[in-house]
Amino acid sequence: MSHLAAGKTAGAKEAAGLRYPSNGKTIYHRPLNRTKTAELSQSSFAYLFSEMVTYAQRRVTGIQELEKRLNLQGHPIGLKLLDLLLIREPARSQTRPLNIISLLHFIKINIWQHLFGRQADRLEKSSNPDTPDEYMIVDNEPLVNAYVSVPREMSQLNCAAFVAGIIEGVCDGAAFPARVTAHSVGGKEEGEMWPGKTVFLVKFQPEVLEREALIGRA
Amino acid sequence: MSYYFAVIGTQDNPLFEYEFGTSKQGGDGQLRFSDQVRHLNQFVLHSSLDIVEEIQWTNGQLYLKAMDKFFNSYISCFITGGNVKFLLLHQPPGANSSNVIGGVGGIAATTTRSTSIGANPTSPQTEEAVKNFFTEVYDNYVKAIMSPFYKANMEIKSPVFRSRVAAAGRKYL
Amino acid sequence: MAASKASRLGEEYETPKAAPPPAPVRPRLTLDFPRDRIWKTRIEKVNAELVVLTYGTIVAQLCKDFDSDYVEVNKQLDKMGYNIGLRLIEDYLAKSNTMRRCSNFRETAEMVAKVGFKIFLNITPTITNWTSDSKQFSLVFDENPFADFVELPDDNRAQDELWYSNILCGVLRGALEMVQMQVEAHFISDVLRGNDTTEMRVSLIRYIDDELPPEDD
Repeated sequence: MSHLAAGKTAGAKEAAGLRYPSNGKTIYHRPLNRTKTAELSQSSFAYLFSEMVTYAQRRVTGIQELEKRLNLQGHPIGLKLLDLLLIREPARSQTRPLNIISLLHFIKINIWQHLFGRQADRLEKSSNPDTPDEYMIVDNEPLVNAYVSVPREMSQLNCAAFVAGIIEGVCDGAAFPARVTAHSVGGKEEGEMWPGKTVFLVKFQPEVLEREALIGRA
Repeated sequence: MSYYFAVIGTQDNPLFEYEFGTSKQGGDGQLRFSDQVRHLNQFVLHSSLDIVEEIQWTNGQLYLKAMDKFFNSYISCFITGGNVKFLLLHQPPGANSSNVIGGVGGIAATTTRSTSIGANPTSPQTEEAVKNFFTEVYDNYVKAIMSPFYKANMEIKSPVFRSRVAAAGRKYL
Repeated sequence: MAASKASRLGEEYETPKAAPPPAPVRPRLTLDFPRDRIWKTRIEKVNAELVVLTYGTIVAQLCKDFDSDYVEVNKQLDKMGYNIGLRLIEDYLAKSNTMRRCSNFRETAEMVAKVGFKIFLNITPTITNWTSDSKQFSLVFDENPFADFVELPDDNRAQDELWYSNILCGVLRGALEMVQMQVEAHFISDVLRGNDTTEMRVSLIRYIDDELPPEDD
């Protein structure tokens, strides 16, 4: 209980806290849905995203580390979107995902639709019996990769690691802890129809599958 | 009628707390908990987290209504998408922690307006009022966590958030 | 995906000098074309919140990397903006379809506020507070999409030191440099700091001679 009491003393210092404009221009005074359907120019996103990648690149030594960093930058966005998109659902469909499939549908449909204006292309469960904890979200043409042309010496890099981080944030936030990684598969299958095709590999922690099994039995 | 509201993070850590009295049925919004009761309330609220964990994976609703009761204190719960819990402890009038044996039946019998928000914690009217309170808090909570500087399980210190919770309390409870 | 390739990784960042020289054709700017129509018909768009959240994560990451040294974060944001500005001008000229060069700094201010900001952020800041020599003005932002979901950290410093949208100063500096204007831009107030307005001050330092390559910072 001591920590609850500690929370109280922290509350006491609030008077000295942040300043706010007298005209009430704070996030709390604006409706959450104000920017729900707002649009900005694609190039603004392109410039920001490529600056983010370039900046991250200077602070890492390898591609793996760079992808990890992009993942970390996406993660908090996933945490925020989870609640933002949930609160915007109509009351009757406003439910927390309770199993892996409903969570992945939320990502494939709601998250993708909101961020990229369309659903992800496919959702698959690993067919390998050794990896029942792995799922795949397929995007034939990730929006983020349209903006960055990767130099040849970095051809392994997939900037969709940022999106993988967003997905991971959604999973972690919804209490389905997972590792999510982005893999380029374009050209390896289906010819060259989708050269940028990316698979987001979602690997859930063991406790997620254990809980799922328990709930299934109940 | 007095209320104790808390936002509890995913590590069972408190992110926000607020105590207030009812503004309905002529209430002045003042807290009527004694210091002793206030301390007990924190304990009661925290204990109810076990029950929350039991039902959160069988019920996907955000609002889980009054899901726990400790003597004359009722605990209503709301779970966010990010599995942060909003808990509201409410105690009907006339009840106090020393009056534990009297229980709920006694209160209902002695209360004239048993369906009013303050008097009966499990009436549909109260459930609806608490739901409205939670919904309004949720809206402000999402605004708080949207800030790029807000990290998961951080204490919510914004005074604007606090005043919004207070306003929701006055409006619905 | 019709979006332009906005950058080539690792090539241009460290050496802004290597950025392409200003287009030989003089940008010809006119003030009377239908700006809203450009926004509606000629700009490829994305969900605003994707942009806003991405900017948020960039600023938060900088604050982390520089251990909440907000002065340094401001510098980094300005630098990023500068790099963007150097590239953005071509895009701007193409989209705004303007071919005539601004005849004076007042006209430049108009184009920045009413065309530049409109194209890239779908806002039109107000131009105000000109100095009598017409070399300094303010842009007042009634709307700032970047700040939509933001509350600065409550650490008794951020509200005095961090200019959350500082990237915009760099963008202006970089973009105008590409059309031979050396400017200085900085915020002087921000609603996120508790001010009643968000205001950026822009000063013309000098016109860069055509013969010289664009100045590096």
